[in-house]
Amino acid sequence: MKAAGEGSGLHGRNGRRLVIGLPYFWLALFFLVPFAIVLKVSFSEAMLGNPPFAPLLQTDADGMTALHLNIDNFLLMFDDSLYYGALLNSLQVAAIATVLCLLLGFPMAYGIARAAPRWRLPLLMLIILPFWTSFLIRVYAWIGILKPNGLLNEWLMGIGLIDQPLAILHTPVAVYIGIVYSYLPFMILPLYATLVRLDLTLLEAAADLGARPFTSFLRVTLPLAKPGIIAGCLLVFVPATGEFVIPDLLGGPNALMIGKVLWTEFFNNADWPVASAMAVLLLVLLVGPVVWLQRSQWDDADSDGERS
Amino acid sequence: MGRRSYWVIAAMIIGYVFLYGPILSLVIYSFNESRLVTVWGGFSTKWYGELLHNEQILSAAWLSVRIAALNASVAVVLGTLAGFALARFRRFRGRGLFTTLITGPLVMPDVIIGLSLLLLFVAMEQAIGWPAGRGMLTITIAHITFSMAYVAVVVQSRVAQLDPSLEEAAMDLGAKPVGVFFAVTLPIIAPALVAGWLLAFTLSLDDLVIASFASGPGATTLPMVVYASVRLGVSPQINALATLIVGVVGFAVLVAGILLARQERLAARSSD
Amino acid sequence: MAPKTPPWQDPDAIPLVRIDGVTRHFGDVYAVDDVSLDIYPGELFSLLGPSGCGKSTLLRLLAGFERPDAGRLFIDGVDVTDIPPYARPVNMMFQSYALFPHMSVEQNIAFGLKQDRMARAAIRDRVGEMLTLLKIEQLARRKPDQLSGGQRQRVALARSLAKHPKLLLLDEPLGALDRKLREHTQFELVNLQEQIGTTFVMVTHDQEEAMTMSSRMAVMEAGRIQQIGTPTSVYEYPANRYCAEFIGAANLIEARVIEHADGMVTLKPADWDGELVMAQETPLVAGTQVTVALRPEKVRIGTPPDGAGGRVRGRIEDIAYLGDISIYHVRVPDGPRIQVTQTNLVPRAEQPLTWGDEIDLWWTHRGGVVLLS
Repeated sequence: MKAAGEGSGLHGRNGRRLVIGLPYFWLALFFLVPFAIVLKVSFSEAMLGNPPFAPLLQTDADGMTALHLNIDNFLLMFDDSLYYGALLNSLQVAAIATVLCLLLGFPMAYGIARAAPRWRLPLLMLIILPFWTSFLIRVYAWIGILKPNGLLNEWLMGIGLIDQPLAILHTPVAVYIGIVYSYLPFMILPLYATLVRLDLTLLEAAADLGARPFTSFLRVTLPLAKPGIIAGCLLVFVPATGEFVIPDLLGGPNALMIGKVLWTEFFNNADWPVASAMAVLLLVLLVGPVVWLQRSQWDDADSDGERS
Repeated sequence: MGRRSYWVIAAMIIGYVFLYGPILSLVIYSFNESRLVTVWGGFSTKWYGELLHNEQILSAAWLSVRIAALNASVAVVLGTLAGFALARFRRFRGRGLFTTLITGPLVMPDVIIGLSLLLLFVAMEQAIGWPAGRGMLTITIAHITFSMAYVAVVVQSRVAQLDPSLEEAAMDLGAKPVGVFFAVTLPIIAPALVAGWLLAFTLSLDDLVIASFASGPGATTLPMVVYASVRLGVSPQINALATLIVGVVGFAVLVAGILLARQERLAARSSD
Repeated sequence: MAPKTPPWQDPDAIPLVRIDGVTRHFGDVYAVDDVSLDIYPGELFSLLGPSGCGKSTLLRLLAGFERPDAGRLFIDGVDVTDIPPYARPVNMMFQSYALFPHMSVEQNIAFGLKQDRMARAAIRDRVGEMLTLLKIEQLARRKPDQLSGGQRQRVALARSLAKHPKLLLLDEPLGALDRKLREHTQFELVNLQEQIGTTFVMVTHDQEEAMTMSSRMAVMEAGRIQQIGTPTSVYEYPANRYCAEFIGAANLIEARVIEHADGMVTLKPADWDGELVMAQETPLVAGTQVTVALRPEKVRIGTPPDGAGGRVRGRIEDIAYLGDISIYHVRVPDGPRIQVTQTNLVPRAEQPLTWGDEIDLWWTHRGGVVLLS
């Protein structure tokens, strides 16, 4: 066996093939192929049966096989305000929640990155820790806090700030709280990763050259933290757009988000083609950001490995 | 490190209270005698007793744990291979698609992953008769698909930090490629594999949406039971369940933290 | 120095390592470009050059981590070009030391022996031998992260010597040590090599290190070998401008050959009137343009005696005081600036020379050397 192959020179050709091939095969079969099927189903007609949609290739009575492409599902998306409204609403909610996450997450990440080194790990662990407990249960906790006779209202009335319970649960505010709460760690971690690498002498240099703290923050810290900001925002925005649990449990019946509509379409109305069409639409919408994220995530990894 | 603005400290306090307040409220009210979550009716552990006799929750929890463990074990193998490939093989045909396939599950909304996998399972059953019906197997496959991506990221970053000359040294000293992997690479990246396993386990235990799509009539996971119960309103039993989960996780983190701190102390002492 | 003929001058000597026309390129970059080289048993051979010159790639080719795109490699007469690194009778000490962090010092040293399925007792003996050889017995149970830089270096050396390789490759073996420790370790390494007799091939970018330690060295640039020779011959008779300037400092003087007779060449410098007369074995044709390399320490200040090989007058532009020596930069009118080093025999304040002084410089017939390429 010739072990000294190209590249790392460490692994035989067959070993290399196995290392790449196995996960590649799995992801292709269970991640890539399913999208092709979703695309196919989105073009088919709903019908009663199992599965509840008509095949694209149908053989007519006279033995002719014909391709039936049905774009009604997509037309419906743009016709019915239920769908495009939900789509636009999702994007808006996700965008606002992302900004809120950034506003809270940045100073926290900054504070952790600037804390004494021995405090950094514990502080960071405290950010990650809630993530290890059940997401569903953490969202559920907010029901008890936000509902009309919940903890927040009891407390606010108790200290005399309000005398009528605030209606927070089942409003967009509750959805924002839920998303910020659930996705905050995803914002803080990439921000922390870039901020902790930031060379403090750069800030000293800026101060030395006459920049006030706020100016050096704006002109030095912020631009250098940009990769972390981009990664953090995408890690919040993309999944939040398709979020189901949070709007379902905390949102009102009017604040429809695309994930919830898709769920309802699928489970309650058993309309698989329409649900698929929504998935395709959502996917197309999110492909751009995902590709962007992938670039920013793996480019670092790619550029530092080359041997000089 | 030097001056820290007050608003940074304020944001950190608000942030941590925000993160832990809700969890704390769950824990406190799990010991509430009263069924009403907001009215304190005295200390009681009766909800824990009810929880432990709730057959539905217990069997769902057992199913979830089995799925999570199986998922984590397979995901660690596949994710390690993928992470290793990403970190070590700079150029191969289809690397672009490969990285996309790894990144995709990290951010793709759950509803899309769930729906697409369900459609795949249905199509496969029609075409080749496998998997017959949906249940534990299909949920596990679905979970492996997205958790292996997380494992891959964890392993990739660890392998990327690994000095390549360690493996070269092992080979230089006479170890064949497979031997190098098991004698040197694997022991060094083992902590990342443990972290990846735990991550995959948690992700699986936590998932409602994808499991709902991939599941069949026979298989109800813990999140599915919790979701059904929570939709009906606040339930003290769920508080008790949450407290148990927080307790287990907290304990595990405490142990891990102590071990880590001891290791660091050892390292610090010896480097003097 | 051994009294007998060194092997590289002995036509019957059999080289331990033969590198034969080896090329390795990464895309368009030729890291190693048609290199041929023989290394003899017992040598401490240095590959010297700036970073990116291909010296590390050449070492990795010998270890087997890289495969040549062209050419063959022989070790002890065996063609190892297609033999993977784990089957070569060669071990390497890495620049980063590459100690396995999860193994103790003992386990690190035993690693290679275990790969050979050596008996348990034999492994224990060999590990003990290595620990004693490098005086690290008391570190046996430590983990690498509990060692200082110098201790790690010893462990790495012990590990790479444990299998008694025919050839030890060292990649910047002293690169990670601080200056004081490095000087001390240079001598230790040479003594160790003489004691065990293993052939060493060492990569370094530090010319002093190569000069002090090597039996011979190869100066590399851009994937090619510029010169191979003993430290003395490379320093005293650099093959070309690159070697003259890379090893030590050199004044380069452009000149034209007037005549060559009886082992002496007479040259006309381009920038001043007068003649240079230098010892020169290889014949030179009259009229040829050549470059003369003149080492700063071979230039003297003062009235030239009769029969000096060369002389020139100039003005002191700059004096760099380095403690033990001073470097004078002397400008020849309308000509080059010549560097001269002088040992500081008296304190600085008592030295008569200062900026702007007009002084005479001279050197002997053997002071300069004609660069032939």
